[in-house]
Amino acid sequence: MSQKSRDERAQGLRDRLNTELQRLSLDQCVKCTICETSCPVSAVTPLFPGPKFVGPQAERFRDGESVDHSVDYCSSCGTCTVVCPQGVNVAEINSLARAVMKAEDGVPVRDRMITQTVLMGKAMTPVAPIANAVLDNKLARTVMEKVVGVHRGAPMPTARTQSLHTWLKKRPKPTKAPTRGALVYFHGCAGGYFEVDAAKKAIEVLEFLGYEVLVPKQGCCGLAEQSNGLFEQASASVRRLVDQLRKPGTDLTIISTAGSCTGMLKHEAHEILGIHDPELLDVGTRIREISEFLMELYEAGELPTDFKPVNMRLPYHAPCQLKSQGMGTPASDLLRMIPGLEVIDSNVTCCGIAGTYGLKKEKYEIAQAVGKPLFDMVKANNDGLAACDTETCRWQIENSSGVETVHPIVLLHKAYGLS
Amino acid sequence: MSRVVVIGAGLAGLTAALRLARAGQSVTLATKGPGGLQLSQGTIDILGYSPERVTRPLEAIASLPDEHPYASIGADEVAAAVIWLGQQLGPELLTGDPSTNLHLPTAVGALRPTALAQPSMVAGDARSLSAHEQRGAAPRSLSAPEARDAHARSLSAPEERGGVSKGLTYAVVGVRQLKDFPADLIAGNLARTTAPDGTRLAANSAWIDLQARPGEADPSPLTYARSMDDEAFAATFARAVAKAAGKGDVVAVPAVLGIRRRGVWQQVQDIVGRPVCEIPLPPPSVPGLRLYEALLALVRAAGVRFIQGSHVTGFTPDGGRVASVTLAAAGGPRELAADAVVFAPGGFESGALSVDSYGTISEPVFGLPLTATDAGELITEKYWGPHPLFEVGVRVDDAGRPVGERGVAHENLYVAGGIIAGAERWRDKSGDGVAVATAIRAADHITGGAR
Ligand SMILES: Cc1cc2nc3c(=O)[nH]c(=O)nc-3n(C[C@H](O)[C@H](O)[C@H](O)COP(=O)(O)OP(=O)(O)OC[C@H]3O[C@@H](n4cnc5c(N)ncnc54)[C@H](O)[C@@H]3O)c2cc1C
Ligand code: SF4
Ligand code: SF4
Repeated sequence: MSQKSRDERAQGLRDRLNTELQRLSLDQCVKCTICETSCPVSAVTPLFPGPKFVGPQAERFRDGESVDHSVDYCSSCGTCTVVCPQGVNVAEINSLARAVMKAEDGVPVRDRMITQTVLMGKAMTPVAPIANAVLDNKLARTVMEKVVGVHRGAPMPTARTQSLHTWLKKRPKPTKAPTRGALVYFHGCAGGYFEVDAAKKAIEVLEFLGYEVLVPKQGCCGLAEQSNGLFEQASASVRRLVDQLRKPGTDLTIISTAGSCTGMLKHEAHEILGIHDPELLDVGTRIREISEFLMELYEAGELPTDFKPVNMRLPYHAPCQLKSQGMGTPASDLLRMIPGLEVIDSNVTCCGIAGTYGLKKEKYEIAQAVGKPLFDMVKANNDGLAACDTETCRWQIENSSGVETVHPIVLLHKAYGLS
Repeated sequence: MSRVVVIGAGLAGLTAALRLARAGQSVTLATKGPGGLQLSQGTIDILGYSPERVTRPLEAIASLPDEHPYASIGADEVAAAVIWLGQQLGPELLTGDPSTNLHLPTAVGALRPTALAQPSMVAGDARSLSAHEQRGAAPRSLSAPEARDAHARSLSAPEERGGVSKGLTYAVVGVRQLKDFPADLIAGNLARTTAPDGTRLAANSAWIDLQARPGEADPSPLTYARSMDDEAFAATFARAVAKAAGKGDVVAVPAVLGIRRRGVWQQVQDIVGRPVCEIPLPPPSVPGLRLYEALLALVRAAGVRFIQGSHVTGFTPDGGRVASVTLAAAGGPRELAADAVVFAPGGFESGALSVDSYGTISEPVFGLPLTATDAGELITEKYWGPHPLFEVGVRVDDAGRPVGERGVAHENLYVAGGIIAGAERWRDKSGDGVAVATAIRAADHITGGAR
């Protein structure tokens, strides 16, 4: 990109940030340091001075220029915004400031590449065994680190030989007629291509509960692009997805097994990308993370809870981008109802990966340090399985602890006797 | 079993949630962020000033005005509540006797009265030397025999100091990297101070130069404390302190002696070979965080559903009751159904009470009746003078339910902590005790007194 158009883009983003209502929230900062005590990144590295400093404090000095490049070390985990008692949108301010900085400095090819999750899935599925072998190959990973900047130790998804949509086409039609109406299912890139098993099980659980599950053709939510400062691309992705999810009907509840993508639709696209389309707001208010939905059913007395016992200890990690939806940790509440299942909450803020953050060679060590208490906790408390609601976090936990990590719905599927 | 929603994760909300969960209730704790605990000194104050300095807080409660939140609770209940909390947290985190105040040095070298403190602070209590000896508090907590001998030597016979009997001598040790611990100022002010028992304190200061994380010029107390969770670093720190500290009965250091690992203070004290006390720093307060994290861990282990990051913005009434509260979650409002609600949102400082540009005071979530609604005359000219504004809040019945002119606001709505009217809590230092005692009152009324 030419210097001129780069400057224009940076200026455009800066103008937007300057007029964002949420930027005003920095005036609510009372310097209580509560966010500082919760930031997982500044806890492990002095390279990042922490949310209060980089957010409400430094933002006052970003007058047309990115004065503080340490904002690049913010992982966008969102924790600072969650804990700030005064309602300062610290993480959102950081994300925007970083996007401005990236627009000024240019976005590395690596950051463009790792955001292409659907493309990766589509390209890898037909050649899954080969793709997996390449990603398992040390030499290949070393070359990838040198040339592209993706750390050789970072977790990579495992490609499947059959995508979810192929399975949907080939499977026998459900025999039981729906008793509770229709739902739209949002599986995310992971459910579609890499974690097909969890997506199938989610559909089977919902059908078991009596719902008709509609699975429209769907793309990526753009979260990875957004957190890498590629706002135009991210906006296009999320708008496309919103249209796709609205296709089956505009009054149906949308159920998601992609924890962080749900957050993108509920609030991040609105707050960080600045998209105020009524269509996005419509999808954002109709979407429910699957455990959130099941707990709502439970609260209403509509969830069958005659679960079969699943006798094991289960370390469970609630990911940062789920907690930032401000709805607690419904999966933990849900899993606790399964007899015999001893759910052990990680009580750790973040696993370190934060989408694509922990893949990058300059941040890999930080991400590993962030996740270390979690990996130790998982290693010490498992009977062969751990659970977590978001895909990249599962890959990170599995990669660094060596313990197979699944979506909570997999355990629920088992407890309903479906597997 | 009823469903109880507790709002707020300050000392009041956490205490209420724990008490309810221990009594077998199904509890959801909903909060925007953590409350004031991690900004606090990490002690539990019961009553520090009334308006003169208080040494026996439970006795002083009897003479408080009727408006004070303690008046309707009584000293016995306050003591029982604080003792219960101390037992929940355990002696590694809280120690002391609610009937007697400790007087602990602050980060500006003043003495601050408090009832329960962390064991790592108690050696700093400005009682006379003989009181220290009688109680045996400091020697008992020393484990190495050499350390015990050193302490016995340091407890010399009472001497005269400028005509008054000699009190404790503090050897204050600062860390060059920790800007919020001005060791010279602390020692200078302590040396000008007469202890509550009339003895004259003495103090000297010294510094160590020890980086916690390589390449970090300006650590917060928290990052420094995290490094202390590493045993080897804590030992290096202790050896440096032992070498630098001047003569004195107690070695006073910044309160950074570990955050997760218990026993850092004991380790440091054993190496230093004299009683060591921690002095809390301005936020982020490490002792405050220890209490917050420990209390939250107990609450979660007790099975409480914890929802953080969303404001409660309103409620749905059902006759004279609150049927559910409304949570402003991402993606739109969510209703939390409740059989009973404990509302523990703090005061002005946490946004629980607000004053608009016309000077009108309000409580925005339930629109509760307040003791005053016009801020105009409640802010006085003297900055350090009393400000009646801070006494504004909710008036309650004996069960802890808000009452207005037309009686109880909602049958199943209880309040606890800073929202309750009648005390300038940061001035009389009653905020912690009020939070704990009112939380337990609310919880016990909900469970019908069941423990
Ligand atoms: C500067 C200052 C110094 C003080 N010093 C002392 C002292 O030395 N000794 C002393 O005893 N007391 C002191 N106090 C008083 C102190 O406030 C109390 O001791 C105590 O912390 C109050 O606890 P709390 O749980 O009632 O409220 P807080 O600790 O304020 O907690 C309130 C909680 O409610 C949450 N909340 C508020 N509104 C909502 C909502 N609408 N939805 C969801 N969540 C919400 C907040 O996020 C927070 O978690 C001081 C106060 C101030 C301001
Ligand atoms: S938690 Fe909020 S108010 Fe406190 S320092 Fe951080 S941004 Fe400021
Ligand atoms: S978003 Fe996460 S990493 Fe970034 S400043 Fe906030 S807490 Fe720290």
